[in-house]
Amino acid sequence: MTGTTPFAFEFAPAIAALPFVSFLIALAFGDRMPKGGALGGILATAGSLLLSLWVFVTVSGGSAYVHDIHTWTILDAGGALGDVNLHFGLLLDPLSAMMLIIVSLIALLVHVFSLGYMNDEGETGLPRYYAGLGLFTFSMLSFVMADNLLQAFMFFELVGLCSFLLIGFWFREDAPPSAAKKAFLVTRFGDYFFLIGVVGIIATFGTSRFAVVGDAAAAAFPVEAAKVLGVTEGTATAVIPGGMDPQLWFTILGLLVLGGVVGKSAQFPLHTWLPDAMEGPTPVSALIHAATMVAAGVYLVARMYGFYLLSPTALGIIALVGGFTALFAATMGVVKKEIKQVLAYSTISQYGYMMLALGAGGYVAATFHLMTHAFFKALLFLGAGSVIIAMHHNENMWDMGGLKEKMPVTYYTFLSGSLALAGIVPFSGFWSKDEVLYEAFVHGLGTAGTQGTLLLVAYAFGLLAVFFTGFYTFRMVFLTFHGEPRSDTAKDPHGVRWNVKGPLAVLGILAAVVGLVNMVPVKKLTGANIDFLHKWLKGPEALKAQTSVAHYTDGDTSLLHEGAHYVAGTLAGGEVGTVLISAAVSLGLALAGAGLAYRLYNVPEPVEHTDKLGAAKDVLYNNYYQDEFQVFLAERVTMPLAKAADTFDQSVIDGAVNGVSSVSLFSGRRVKRVQTGLVTNYALLLTLGFLVLLVAMAATGGWF
Amino acid sequence: MSSHASLFALGPALYLAATGLLVLVLDSVGRTTRLPFALGSAVFGVAAVGAAAVAAFTGGTLLGLGVGAHAFAAMNAFLVAFLVYLVDPSGSNRLLVASVAVAGAVFSLGNAAYYLAYFGTTSDAQAALLFGDQLVVDQMSLLFMAIAASVTALVALASYDYLEGHAYQAEYYALVLLAATGMSLMAAANSLATVFVAMELASLPSFALVAFLKKNRGSVEAGLKYFLIGALSSSFFAYGISLVYATTGSLQLEAVASALSGGTEFVGMLGIGMLMLVGGFAYKTASVPFHFWAPEAYEGAPAPISAFISSASKAAGFVIAFRVFTVAFTPAGLFASLGIDWVLVFQILAVVTMTLGNFAAATQENVKRMLAYSSIGHAGYVLIGLASLGGVASQGDTVLGASMMHLFVYGFMNTGAFLFIALVEYWGVGRTFEDYAGLGRKAPVACAAMTVFLFSLAGLPVGAGFLSKYVLFFGAVSAGFWWLAAVGAINSALSLYYYTRVVKAMWVEEPNGELELQGRPTGLYAAVVAAAVVTVLLLPGFFPIAETAIEAANAVLPNAGDTTTAFFG
Repeated sequence: MTGTTPFAFEFAPAIAALPFVSFLIALAFGDRMPKGGALGGILATAGSLLLSLWVFVTVSGGSAYVHDIHTWTILDAGGALGDVNLHFGLLLDPLSAMMLIIVSLIALLVHVFSLGYMNDEGETGLPRYYAGLGLFTFSMLSFVMADNLLQAFMFFELVGLCSFLLIGFWFREDAPPSAAKKAFLVTRFGDYFFLIGVVGIIATFGTSRFAVVGDAAAAAFPVEAAKVLGVTEGTATAVIPGGMDPQLWFTILGLLVLGGVVGKSAQFPLHTWLPDAMEGPTPVSALIHAATMVAAGVYLVARMYGFYLLSPTALGIIALVGGFTALFAATMGVVKKEIKQVLAYSTISQYGYMMLALGAGGYVAATFHLMTHAFFKALLFLGAGSVIIAMHHNENMWDMGGLKEKMPVTYYTFLSGSLALAGIVPFSGFWSKDEVLYEAFVHGLGTAGTQGTLLLVAYAFGLLAVFFTGFYTFRMVFLTFHGEPRSDTAKDPHGVRWNVKGPLAVLGILAAVVGLVNMVPVKKLTGANIDFLHKWLKGPEALKAQTSVAHYTDGDTSLLHEGAHYVAGTLAGGEVGTVLISAAVSLGLALAGAGLAYRLYNVPEPVEHTDKLGAAKDVLYNNYYQDEFQVFLAERVTMPLAKAADTFDQSVIDGAVNGVSSVSLFSGRRVKRVQTGLVTNYALLLTLGFLVLLVAMAATGGWF
Repeated sequence: MSSHASLFALGPALYLAATGLLVLVLDSVGRTTRLPFALGSAVFGVAAVGAAAVAAFTGGTLLGLGVGAHAFAAMNAFLVAFLVYLVDPSGSNRLLVASVAVAGAVFSLGNAAYYLAYFGTTSDAQAALLFGDQLVVDQMSLLFMAIAASVTALVALASYDYLEGHAYQAEYYALVLLAATGMSLMAAANSLATVFVAMELASLPSFALVAFLKKNRGSVEAGLKYFLIGALSSSFFAYGISLVYATTGSLQLEAVASALSGGTEFVGMLGIGMLMLVGGFAYKTASVPFHFWAPEAYEGAPAPISAFISSASKAAGFVIAFRVFTVAFTPAGLFASLGIDWVLVFQILAVVTMTLGNFAAATQENVKRMLAYSSIGHAGYVLIGLASLGGVASQGDTVLGASMMHLFVYGFMNTGAFLFIALVEYWGVGRTFEDYAGLGRKAPVACAAMTVFLFSLAGLPVGAGFLSKYVLFFGAVSAGFWWLAAVGAINSALSLYYYTRVVKAMWVEEPNGELELQGRPTGLYAAVVAAAVVTVLLLPGFFPIAETAIEAANAVLPNAGDTTTAFFG
């Protein structure tokens, strides 16, 4: 860090504070304000967006910032670790600056869209709704800026709470509260491991900072861990329990934190809450359950990527879980009838790609896909919201059809998002998904042994999922917008206003062009230096050995090679050939999927083809019986265990407690009886008591 | 050590004694005696001022008293003259007498607090020794004088309403103040002789006070039993003193210690003597097996007197135990090697006392009697302070100081609890748990205060009782006696049960019949609320008390620093 702190960083806390103020205002005065507090939220998120852009510009200028804002407590951990500082802090680097813009931009657009989706539809409880959005935006932005794991955990929990509150917004109906509870419990299951991981990391390293800038006295745990393993030079202290191999212990810690990631980013097997979360209002689905909160898990892995790169095992698991989830969720998406359900499974699938990228060493690829996905998936959800308004809140695609002519803005923007989702060149999703698959492919080819094989398996999952993605995406587009209207509402849809069309237009353009910031295949082919995102994530010099891309992926000394032992390989034709083959295969599969959907559903009177799937149909309709399996686990495994614990508590613990109390009451009554009321008895007992004491002392002391 | 300390150092005790006498004077003022009393006092005051002037100019003392003592006498004489002049012989002096008693106690408390502040702020302050080292005024004395004075103030305040319609009120206040004087002197006693005299000065008025309700059978019976057991225990104590004197040839505590520093050949005699001394303390602190008087005396006595005896008298009993055993019979290890392991004796007493007190309290139906047994249980907790002295030497001041802190806090929370009983007795509500049902709705302020007292007694963090108990158990653990702390903690858990019964009755249960409360006695309310406020405020303001107590403990324990200068010259 240079001498003076740039102004933008001094103002950075306001990025999170503004939505918090809007939350308080909506909560306190929402009833008395026009639009139920929406305007405050719009102003606040617009302010956050402007400040985020300022931070972005400042970071682009080569600055980074780590700063402790408030220390709650300094624990004396004793021993080698000394004092442990628990605090709130800021970490502003390229990754967090990028994420700040994504979150505040989408939050702003969703606030505007909500005017159309909630206010114009005459919903009640709007102050509660906007308070929830404000609190969520505050928590998410604070999570993004967190400079340490404990703070990240706290805001991770807060966004979970907001998700719970907003999924259950229509709490008088049956399904939303139940979905809210499910989302809360399933993610909490993962967060439990996360919490243990946080404590473990603090106990091991004495700090949970992600990175330090300039301050030599401070330590960051990924850096310390690399020193302990000898991957980078330097000395570091770490308390490893029971003389365990440090590598193994770090893997355990990484996997514990990963528990929270799997829950929040809806990865297999904790993905089941996300489809149910669609019970919430659609703008909430767009903001929380597609673009931002679900990204928190992936973001966290990227945030502490230096730690994961030290553990090949953890990386392998991340890649495999990601690849499998991508395919698994995509297959479920192909049979869904409700438009939001298709999008929900698609979201799970796309986060699988990001995890695959992270597991395969593609830090930039994952971040890139995180960004493009945030835009095109928010777009698709808002487009779906627009359709749902038009359809009078009927979400069944089989009742739609022919909406293309009735709502052109929605159609063309939705199409832009769909092309991006399916991965059709040159829309944004193509570039990012292609880079994800490319990273998995080359590292799978180049890395020796099980590690490489594992990556190739994950890559195969991901590749196959491309086909399904193309298929379900265009099935959705054709069923919704093409053909003849299949219901009266579809013949005469409800119109939407500027506040719906505006956000759609912004996101539609972004979904089309944002991929151009990182056209790696073009660079490889032409040699033009147009991988801007890659360059940008390299960040300032101060972060070179902390969180920069250079530290993670570039060159022979990077953690990717030294820590994770990944090596890039190529097919025939060298790098250029590999790039071309990889891109061609994924594009071909996407087009094949889209083409099949065109054949089956782009007809005036489409019919269901699910019967052709045979037995697989039921399996897919029932989501591979995952919910049933979880219910089975709860009823057959957890319940008996809980009952046994209850029995133990009732009989042994309470028995002991009751026993103690009855013994004391009984002996209490005995004692009471000694107090006869006769003073002569007292004198006798007193003297006898004294004599007993005297004899005892004389005997032990040998007085005579 | 200072050799020329003045009587002035005993200010807190003198205030109490002077107020006691003043109360008697005021009560005997009649239409004809009014002027002579006032004139006599004024003349005496002028004489005392003159004596002070002479002493000041000659730089010496007059009648063996310093300037301060003469000035003190003058001030009191003028006060008497002024107050006597205020007396209206035709009317009732009730209010005046009670006010004077409260004011005297508050003056005493202020005096003690002032001296304590001096000790707290002067790094080399020195204890005052009086009458050939027979009395000592140090931090421990002052802390316990403060306890006695604060309890006396609360009790005197509450008694104004409680005594409504009773005869001999001035005698009542005079007895309370004289007993409190005895307790203050117990805190300062530095020789077995003064210990005995002070103890009797505290005890004799107490007997009369317990039996104060002459027409109440329970009160009279309780007074008689208290007197008989007291006489028996005093004889134990006196005999113990004689045996210690026979062994060492001294009564003064430091002299006893130096006589025993090389050991003694009369181990058996000394051992029996010391055990008998323990018996005397056990009586005064209501510890097993000398506790039999306590439940009956506390139950039968007027409730303010129960508060007085169970808080102030108990604290005074402890201060002499602390002083005698830490000054005369020290170090503990020497006596253990002689075969007189007094730490072990206190360990046994602590465990038995707290267990018996709490177990018996758990089965009581009568709230006042429950509090009486709980008071025995608390004596057991405080005994941990002496029982943990044989362990890690450097932790001795923490645990002994913790005992003092507990007694200080106890002086408010237990007094408050008994004064609440006094309030209930004033209203004529019954004495059992059932009778308390629904009281919370009728008298929410008083019941909130009672809830604070009870939870604080149990050790919940609504009052300072939590902190004092915490430091006590913490000190026991760090001194190496974790099992004493464990027994204490188990007993505390049990105590929560019976304390909560009262809280539940007051707030949760429905009253059996019509509950009508007659009147809002101002004095009683003021005392109860004041005690509750202090109990709560000591929670955040615990540090000064803790610091004072630990310094006081440090001063009496062996190998404490001795770089001090005189204050009471």
